Amino acid sequence: MTKGLITTTVGSFPKPPYLQQARNRFAAGKLPREELDELELQATREVIALQEEIGIDILVDGEMARGDMVVFFAEHLEGMEVGGLVRSYGNRYYHKPVVKGPVRWTEPMTVEMWKYAQSLTDKPVKGMLTGPYTMVEWSFLEGYDDFRTAVLEMARAVNYEALELNRAGATFIQIDEPALSTRMEDIELAIEAMAIATEGLTATTATHVCYGDFVSAYPRFFDMPVKQFDMEMANSSHELVDLLKTKGFPEDKEIAWGVVDVHSHKIESVDDVVAEIKRGLEVLPPERLYIDPDCGLKTRTWDESADKLRVIVRGVAQVKSELGIE
Amino acid sequence: MKATVVGSYPKIPNRPRPARLRNAISKLDRGEIAKAELAQVADEVTIEVLEEQAQAGLDLVTDGHIRWEDEQTYLARQLTGISINGLIRWFDTNMYFRQPVIEGDVTWQRPITVRDYAFAVEHSAKPVKPVLTGPYTLARLSIDNHYNNNEALALAFAEALNREAKALQEAGATLIQFNEPAILKQKDDIASFAKICERLVDGLTAETSLYLYFGDVEGIYAEIQQLPFDLIGLDLVMGAANAELLAGATFKKKLGLGIIDARNTRLETPDQIAKQIRRLSDGIDPDSVHVSPSAGLEFLPREVAQEKLRLLAEGVRKAEGVLV
Repeated sequence: MTKGLITTTVGSFPKPPYLQQARNRFAAGKLPREELDELELQATREVIALQEEIGIDILVDGEMARGDMVVFFAEHLEGMEVGGLVRSYGNRYYHKPVVKGPVRWTEPMTVEMWKYAQSLTDKPVKGMLTGPYTMVEWSFLEGYDDFRTAVLEMARAVNYEALELNRAGATFIQIDEPALSTRMEDIELAIEAMAIATEGLTATTATHVCYGDFVSAYPRFFDMPVKQFDMEMANSSHELVDLLKTKGFPEDKEIAWGVVDVHSHKIESVDDVVAEIKRGLEVLPPERLYIDPDCGLKTRTWDESADKLRVIVRGVAQVKSELGIE
Repeated sequence: MKATVVGSYPKIPNRPRPARLRNAISKLDRGEIAKAELAQVADEVTIEVLEEQAQAGLDLVTDGHIRWEDEQTYLARQLTGISINGLIRWFDTNMYFRQPVIEGDVTWQRPITVRDYAFAVEHSAKPVKPVLTGPYTLARLSIDNHYNNNEALALAFAEALNREAKALQEAGATLIQFNEPAILKQKDDIASFAKICERLVDGLTAETSLYLYFGDVEGIYAEIQQLPFDLIGLDLVMGAANAELLAGATFKKKLGLGIIDARNTRLETPDQIAKQIRRLSDGIDPDSVHVSPSAGLEFLPREVAQEKLRLLAEGVRKAEGVLV
């Protein structure tokens, strides 16, 4: 029997309301660090239990200790600082990081939480990192004259963290580059940086890039030196799918096909998910086709996230039984 | 020479200064205050922002678009035929806007920014220019379910903004600015863009300016100088090629030089700024030169934005020879 259609998620989960409140109180100086730590572990246990209960195959720790995906690392890396408030939309603001000087890795940032999450389950837990291009592109840049040099030095720092995860036993490491989606013209730099970031890893590597102009970057985009491309396909153009079907996709690589739209409150039907999985199967055999939501779940509520994952698992089960996939 | 800005200004300062606008919007969302109270806070913050620009030494200021949720919807919400959809990234910035959806004929109903303009004039020590998002950018960043034709939609926006500009003119505006970053992403559309611009400024007697940022004008350099505006503003930060174009042939219109990086906190020095102004405006009457950041300032923390404007104004005074 053919194997395949492994389910996973992109990385982030929504923070339970008690954790969000605790983070606010901690930021206001009203909660000790140890108490926040304890609540982050509690939320991590809940995220793992939820994925187990729903039946996801490759789990994540849900990033309960991280606010923004760049700020978290900026708080730990030498040469980076957390800057002033900048608006992201509506009444939402964030402290945009600043690259102040030479970027250096000094200590593991994500390994303890990964180990904790992995200790709670027999299924593999992915190591999740923010990619070097995104780290620099989504920060202010003061300490380097040259964007490229900053990205390549950031890549070395990301590589140290990835190697620590690898050493700790992570068999799957995902290094996300969402900033690339609006800057496909920088694909060469992103490839060069990813080669540094993944150097020496024995784990399976993946990258997630939000929906972008993959058509114009085809086929060069798929030269990113990772095994798996985690892509927003739920809203993707027929043009991209046609291109993958007719012009192909590297035979040694995989796609994690994002089949539900995390930017919408609406829960897709099982039929929608089945149709999207079948679209994926027109491009790739099931062994190389992973199924997941199309982006991190952190903007959805806990219940919406659970519902979206349940519909994915049901859709996958239906396709598997229809096609005799194990 | 005039030191000025391109449009937006950061809405809240950093601690320990209070984030008054942010707090007021949160309170409105929780039903703790009425809309009128939020409008009052927005007015007060606008006054602060006008004062900060004057203190920095600018010659020509804006109201900072303090009341604008984003560059698209503040205008789009007041026009007919438009509903507002979900969040989407604004160009390649890390800021999001809510995407307008065109569902019927787009028409102007009533003044949108006239009260804001009059309020700013009343409370500003410096001359104020109203700044509007241009019709092409409004059209490009909308989902069009009605016209099914970008030019037709942009012409409808142009007609509506023409009415708005006339209302601003009526209220005393002598220079009206339109921001059109989207055309730099679709340079092939320049002929259509020219037609849209003609509709936009039809019958206006005030001076008009067009700001083009997040890229260069290579390939449309001759065409933009034919457009029906008195002043064209260029981005010299993300559009590095603009410097070579300006060096190649004297600019035929008044020139806006966007030379301070509006998207990075790294500070320029007045000497660098002055040197750059002299080089870029060589052969152009200094009275025809407006110097500004490369784009709106909302991508920066408030304190950095003000410091950048102070350095900009000092650089302009040096370029003029007022300061040495």
